[in-house]
Amino acid sequence: MADFNVNLRGVGSVSVIDVKGYLDAHTAPELENMFSKLIVDKQFKVVVNFDQLNYISSAGLGVFMAFVEQMRDNKGDIKFSNMNDSVYNIFDLLGFPVLYEFYKDEKEAVNKFSNLG
Amino acid sequence: MISDKNIIAHRNLAALVDYSNLINSSLDLSFILNNILLTCFSKFQITKGIIALVDNNNFLELKVIKGFSSTDKEKFPKVKLEELISNSKMQVFISQYKISVVEKIESNSGTKGVVLLGSKLSKNPFTNEDLEFLKTLLNLGATAVENSLTVERLKNVNRELDSKVNQLSSLFDLSKEFSGILEIEVIGKLLVYSIIGQLLVSKYAVVTCSEKSINILESKYDIDQIKESLKICEYDKINESLDKEQIVKNYPDLSKFEIECIVPMKIKSVTKGLILLGKRVTNKPFSKSDVEYISSVGSLAIISIENASMIKELLEKEKLEKDLEIARNIQQNLLPKKILQYKEVSISAYSLAARTVGGDYYDIVKLDDNRVLLAIADVSGKGVPAALIMANLQAFLKSICKQNLPLDESTNLINDLISENTSNGSFVTFFWGIFDKFNLEFTYVNAGHNPPLLLRNGEIIKLKKGGMIIGVMPTIIPYVSETIKMEKDDVVIFFTDGISEAMNIDFEEFTDEKLERIVLEERLKSSDEILEKIKNEVDEHTKGAEQSDDITCLIIKVN
Repeated sequence: MADFNVNLRGVGSVSVIDVKGYLDAHTAPELENMFSKLIVDKQFKVVVNFDQLNYISSAGLGVFMAFVEQMRDNKGDIKFSNMNDSVYNIFDLLGFPVLYEFYKDEKEAVNKFSNLG
Repeated sequence: MISDKNIIAHRNLAALVDYSNLINSSLDLSFILNNILLTCFSKFQITKGIIALVDNNNFLELKVIKGFSSTDKEKFPKVKLEELISNSKMQVFISQYKISVVEKIESNSGTKGVVLLGSKLSKNPFTNEDLEFLKTLLNLGATAVENSLTVERLKNVNRELDSKVNQLSSLFDLSKEFSGILEIEVIGKLLVYSIIGQLLVSKYAVVTCSEKSINILESKYDIDQIKESLKICEYDKINESLDKEQIVKNYPDLSKFEIECIVPMKIKSVTKGLILLGKRVTNKPFSKSDVEYISSVGSLAIISIENASMIKELLEKEKLEKDLEIARNIQQNLLPKKILQYKEVSISAYSLAARTVGGDYYDIVKLDDNRVLLAIADVSGKGVPAALIMANLQAFLKSICKQNLPLDESTNLINDLISENTSNGSFVTFFWGIFDKFNLEFTYVNAGHNPPLLLRNGEIIKLKKGGMIIGVMPTIIPYVSETIKMEKDDVVIFFTDGISEAMNIDFEEFTDEKLERIVLEERLKSSDEILEKIKNEVDEHTKGAEQSDDITCLIIKVN
């Protein structure tokens, strides 16, 4: 069941994480490792591209909660982009839109960081 | 002639049909209310208007307001529907903004809200016809308002259902996942993620408790501080979920961390752990259904944690067993395979390792044609560490024998060597002696071992000369040896405390006295027979009880 994939790309000073497949309790640790690595490497500006993500569970959402403060404390953030409706609905249902920025397009999200310098 | 009145009535009617079609074609509440108000504006030529709807508690809630500045909006008083006219603040508001008409929006199921309209631009008062028309307008509007409210309510119910479904699916997800994980840390992480992701919490701690000890699995608080506070407040007595109020009231030590929700994780109604949560990032309180969710996730997690720790224990036990088997092998290989026999002296020996392996050791070494060395030792501790010290002891003993040094000096040396090679308080009780069959002399040093018993003419002489146990510190006070002239029929019994302290099922020891009595009775028999007798007596004594320590006995008899 190779049902989840994370991939890291650098776009300028921003780290873009592509998530693919099913992000649930089983696969959440992979995403967690990715974030831990970013913290170690002092990469605090993160865009998560959900283009190929089909499903997300609470455990997956928890990973974003667990790291967002650290990113923000270091003048960074976690921003979301390219989310399909069914995934967005879950974020919306739990109240994430008040706390996180969602963008239709990855570029838009990345630019948001560079605008701030 | 068609009267003006008729033309106006006709126009009014056409406008009403349009209006009715428009608002009934939508289910969007704000669109509907906006249209009602705008229709009033155009019909009566007014510049100020408000629609407020009744909320669940019968208070009027502003929905649409036009022609007021934003500071003016703030002044709309919070009143209940039934106090609308009597409320003094409302009376002030009405006169301040020259509200000319207040009309209720009534539907079949009751009053939905009110419309407040300012004065006409023309300054003319509202006519009766105006008021009639307004009533018709609002009657038509009421149905549309009611419909859209129902839809909105349904949407909310749907959202709640979605939220429940989502909680259930994450529970399902977790139950699948937890059962496969054996690392407690990973279980803790997943538990936390599932809670903070679902409920948007950024400060939290998960602790497990077992017999008065707390283990912090996850914490965003200072670990030592939270541990201390939990200790103070008898954490293991928390067996109900606690909300913010209860925490502030009953657990002030925890409320200082701004913990707003505590949920116990229980197995068979015993609290095995706690989930502590700070406030939600959305500032919403934890609802009953949220607490139920936390509690369900917690139950799943604690069962997996218990399973994981049980398996861990089992594996450790297996490892220990393996450890002991290795130790037993080492020990058995260190003991002499064959016992030397001489014309002048007969030698018998027996050693039985306990299941948990103690550290008994004995040896019989031929030094030259005349002299034979006999040694007995008990290494403190059990298992592999004890077996390794024993192996060391044997190696030192064999090499020192070859130096041909006096026994006391050799003991000094062996103590120095063992001391260098032991750590954390290990020690050895040690006795050795050299029997010289040419001049029938027995020279020995006793380094803290149970004194061997020399039987001569029905008397017992205990061989105590020597010094302290070996392996504790380098030799400061040299050991002393004693030489005894042996006589025919002398018997020496060497033994370890495995014999004198052998326990029966009532935990009573075999005792030195009993051993002494037996050997005195048996002293005329051969060394083999005496040994056999001791073995049988010990067996008899310990029948049904587990052997707790190694048993070793070495007997020499001068022929």
